[in-house]
Amino acid sequence: MNGEIDRSWRDPELLVKALPSVILQTAFFLAPLLMTVALTFQRTKNFQLTWTWSLDTWTDIFTKPHYWTILGHTLFMAITCVILCLVIAFPVAYALATRLRAFQDHVKVLITFAFLTDATLKTFGWVLFLDKNGAANYLLQQVGFPPATIDILFTDWATMLGMVYNLLSFAIFTIYLSIDAIDRSLILAAYDAGASKFRTFWEVTLPLARPGIWAASVLIFLLAVGVFLEPKVLGGGKSPMSAELIRQTFETRVNWPLGAALTLVLMTVAVFVVLLFNRVYSLKRHMGPV
Amino acid sequence: MAYPTPTPWMNAKTEAQLAGVLLYGSVAAVLIFFYVPIFTLIAFSFQEGRYPTLPFEGVSLKWYGALFENSGARDALWNSTIIAVVATVFATVIGSAAAIVAVRYKFRFRLPFTGLSAAPLAFPQLLLGIVLLLWFSVLGRAFDFNTGLVTAIIGHVVYITPFALVIVAVQVFNFDATLEDAARDCGATTFEVYRYVTLPLLWPGIFSAGIFAFLLSWGNFYLTYSLAGSTRTLPTFVFSGIATGSSPLYPAIATVVFIPGILLVILADRMRRKAA
Repeated sequence: MNGEIDRSWRDPELLVKALPSVILQTAFFLAPLLMTVALTFQRTKNFQLTWTWSLDTWTDIFTKPHYWTILGHTLFMAITCVILCLVIAFPVAYALATRLRAFQDHVKVLITFAFLTDATLKTFGWVLFLDKNGAANYLLQQVGFPPATIDILFTDWATMLGMVYNLLSFAIFTIYLSIDAIDRSLILAAYDAGASKFRTFWEVTLPLARPGIWAASVLIFLLAVGVFLEPKVLGGGKSPMSAELIRQTFETRVNWPLGAALTLVLMTVAVFVVLLFNRVYSLKRHMGPV
Repeated sequence: MAYPTPTPWMNAKTEAQLAGVLLYGSVAAVLIFFYVPIFTLIAFSFQEGRYPTLPFEGVSLKWYGALFENSGARDALWNSTIIAVVATVFATVIGSAAAIVAVRYKFRFRLPFTGLSAAPLAFPQLLLGIVLLLWFSVLGRAFDFNTGLVTAIIGHVVYITPFALVIVAVQVFNFDATLEDAARDCGATTFEVYRYVTLPLLWPGIFSAGIFAFLLSWGNFYLTYSLAGSTRTLPTFVFSGIATGSSPLYPAIATVVFIPGILLVILADRMRRKAA
């Protein structure tokens, strides 16, 4: 890369620029995370935290299947969300990078705005739209459908719709960046060699876009396991996901050690799933015919 | 590397047409999908009746009037603005500096540095909020403070700085370092190089990072919900309202919130294109 400069940590120029970020993320990300680990080994008494080391919380978690059922449901929803986001985002990202010359910037502005707008409000907008007496059913009725054709509000379907809605932009932008970075001459070379458009896409574009697809999957998966707004507002809180369970543990049951432990379990399992997929994916690449 | 020759299952022209329909269709479908709830909210903000159902009882601006008379909503608007402005300044400055370091410099622990600086990006916000809430509760008991505006701002900065880092990093990547060297060779001091070369060249990236930061903070629900104590911002104000039953005020709030959003996004895009 051009212009990379060798620096040592004693260099004041490096320190001035790097330290704020290091201090910020150490004091308010790493340290709280470590304390959360320590908290799981404490006890609560009369809704008060007492600093006595014990394994109570962990035995509780590993003996109650209830937590694991909810976790399983959360993982299932998150993986479904990743697949849906990829399937929807890929053609959009591809079109943005290769087709929409004139409108590209306008489409990007529209997507960015939708992404940056308050998620609570957008989710509430879906409630108004999907409600039995809401906008969607009214419009459908106008064109001859029976009343309440769309009746998915307060089900897992609505939750999934909200999750895809709120996370899709991550997939579009990440995949767009990786397709946009592909060297056009590789694609032209494939055409010269006589490959059809479809085959060029399948054997050149898609493999080169893989880093973006992978990054999008990881990002969306990690964010999807932590959703709370969608299951609560669109799903009606009927089939809780892990984040809701964790929030309840803190707020209603005021059990910090348990809440901290559930947070860690969720993050650990999520990272484990990512690593597992990564392993399967790289194995396939080494053994496959590619 | 012998591939079997695929039998052409359709001719090139139909193939191209089909691809075109699929690609343009998907963009159109996604744009509609993205704007369904947004337009629903805007439409309902102008309705006369008490309940958000169609058909409208009438068209009026009365909920906007009610909104500005509602002191809870006004306070929430004010708090959102304060938090977003302060968080934007901190997140953009820290993130931009870290981006320069992460892309331009070679040093020991560069990878751990970049990893730590970007980590909150892939951490679910609700969990980040909870982890920070625990941290502030323990610290608060030791140093006697409560969660509120300041803790909410800290949470926002932790979450938003990595976004600023990534956006500015893209700009730094395309940055021609020889320009800095040239300025230095002409006798410019370190400060002058920054003031007249580095900052102007990175400005479009920093500016879009700032706008991104502002809007991420302005619309943030999860972190504020955990960290702001009894302080309400627009998103938590709306959430507490819709959890107990919908009110005709919320579509009006939404529409008011949308306006600075779309203006800032357009502005950021103008800046970026002017620079390109």
